[in-house]
Amino acid sequence: MISVQRRSGSSLSWNVACYSAAMICAFLTSAALLAFSGGDPAKAFSALLTGAFGSQNALYGSLAKATPLLLVGLGTVIAFRAKIWNIGQEGQVFAGAMAAYWMSLWVAPLPYWLAWLLIAIAGLVGGGVLGLLAGYLKVRFGTSEVISTVMLNYIVIYILAYLLDGGPWMESGLTVAYHQSSPVNPLLEWPILLGQGSGKMHIGFILALAAAAFCAVLLEKTSLGYEIRAFGSNPTALRFRGTNIRRLLLVVMLLSGALAGLAGAGELFGTSHRLRAETLLGIGSSGIVVAMVGGLRPSGVMLAALFFGALKSGAIYMRLKSGTPAGLVSAMEGLVLLFFLCAAVATKLQLVRVEEKVHA
Amino acid sequence: MLELLQGPLLISILAGMVRIATPLLFSAMGELVTQRAGIWNISVEGTMLLGAVVAYVVASTTGSPWLALLAAVLACALISLIMSFVTIVLKAEQFVAGLALNLLASGLTLFWFQTYVIGREPPKFAGFDQVDIPLLSDIPFLGSILFSQRLLTYVAFLLPVAVWFFLYRTKYGLEIRCVGENPKALDVKGLSVGWRQCLAIMFGSLMSGFGGAFLMLGYSDRFVPDLIAGRGWLVVVAIIAGNWMPFRVVGAIFIFALLEAVAIHAQVVGVSIPHHFFLILPYVASLVLLAGLRSRTHQPEALGVPYSRE
Repeated sequence: MISVQRRSGSSLSWNVACYSAAMICAFLTSAALLAFSGGDPAKAFSALLTGAFGSQNALYGSLAKATPLLLVGLGTVIAFRAKIWNIGQEGQVFAGAMAAYWMSLWVAPLPYWLAWLLIAIAGLVGGGVLGLLAGYLKVRFGTSEVISTVMLNYIVIYILAYLLDGGPWMESGLTVAYHQSSPVNPLLEWPILLGQGSGKMHIGFILALAAAAFCAVLLEKTSLGYEIRAFGSNPTALRFRGTNIRRLLLVVMLLSGALAGLAGAGELFGTSHRLRAETLLGIGSSGIVVAMVGGLRPSGVMLAALFFGALKSGAIYMRLKSGTPAGLVSAMEGLVLLFFLCAAVATKLQLVRVEEKVHA
Repeated sequence: MLELLQGPLLISILAGMVRIATPLLFSAMGELVTQRAGIWNISVEGTMLLGAVVAYVVASTTGSPWLALLAAVLACALISLIMSFVTIVLKAEQFVAGLALNLLASGLTLFWFQTYVIGREPPKFAGFDQVDIPLLSDIPFLGSILFSQRLLTYVAFLLPVAVWFFLYRTKYGLEIRCVGENPKALDVKGLSVGWRQCLAIMFGSLMSGFGGAFLMLGYSDRFVPDLIAGRGWLVVVAIIAGNWMPFRVVGAIFIFALLEAVAIHAQVVGVSIPHHFFLILPYVASLVLLAGLRSRTHQPEALGVPYSRE
């Protein structure tokens, strides 16, 4: 007889098996979804792969799409490892982009490197302040960060809608609102490192890699990282140890929001060059998926960001080639996340052969 | 601003408030029962969206809003099995499971919307009709606010009484509350904790199905992917601000509904303040409410804690 038991340690091969099974399930479900809606799964998926990895330029495009996901994912890891459920990444990405845009209106006369630095810092500050606000509501009023961050998402998105639709940032010289700002000053665009045309990878990718290293060191090698992990696993013990919980909460929310904000700034100055809600929408929620699928570890988040970045990038080509809407990738994100959630539980279990007792 | 307070307009705002409160009431009463059973289910937003999508598809293909409602409610009850499986059987973090369901619902909706709706003539659908209650609807002022609504609105307004009665005056309600407060006590008596939580999750989902379907068929004139627009989250806010007590939750919901009704009318009347600032009001109010109403005395003791015997 075979019985299911809790596993004492963890086994690499079993982990790989569980997560591979989850990935296969997610792809099969997506294929079924496609077939059900009248599409051709084989055609769509091969177009998706070609769009993501088919050429050097496609590869750069995938890296470009992975950049904001990696940043948001890392911010999510910092918060979720402490079991602080910041789900305001969407709003924090917006706030970062908005702060960076605002900064860009002032810094053009400065030397390029200084202007660039100030814009990046504005992005960090914009997202960070929004995160901090939710943290403040938590420590001051006990407001659940789950709720406050979601509400702040809607508030920020409406504020941006106002600014772009009749407000001061509406594209100049127009009477009809296109819900977008004028293009940013071309001198202030973030430098493109690799690629051309549709697949341009900007300097934000390097920043994101640096952020990943920063998070790995922060979580594993510093006392703040220890406190973050301890707060997630045993907050009571941490309190008795004399750690200032309020300060910890504020710092975590600030860092988490700042990384999302940087993602927003990078997307604006590296890719879209215009402040526009559609280009930013969804980065936050994809980043959360990336963080969780990446197992809340910086290394895992890098892999997950590359994977989902590739899907997002390939989706553009897929729509052109097979007519499958890009929304398929959003559906896949949800499916992968759900199956990974189940797989994470399965990794903690093992199948054990139990000798049946023979009754005399 | 003053013109907002004149007679006909005031009636229109208050009638709008009652109509907007309807889906919130359904979802909130369902979610309240779920949370009283100790399940911190934050997937209300996604479940309402699923209900709205199914309602829209069925209403536009069959032409019957009631069939659409039935389909939406069934679909939401079915999807609740995922939540039950992940939280009760696998005992995963409830917050994460709810978040995953929300993301899944919005992802699937986006895919479906881009496949079937975008770029085509949006299919027509029949919504719910207004039902005037004889005599009562003739009462000046109150009549047109309260008694010239959709049938489901009347149901929604009776629902809090029913849920209160169920939770506080029936044996099953007591068991549900016990599951949320002290599941062990129920388990030792030989009563299944998981089974009751599963039913509570299903009831909550099913009610969110009503909410989503009403939002589509009794309130909107077309489908958009962000149809729910955070209302599922406002429902969760209302439950916390209402300290998990049915009638206080209703109070919080009326505040949100009133603000939304004012926002819509401000847009129509043409106030000089940009309408975005009115649209923000319910979300700002939710933060203010949570900061102001900080009593959590009725929060279920075991809310969000997966139950296991070990």
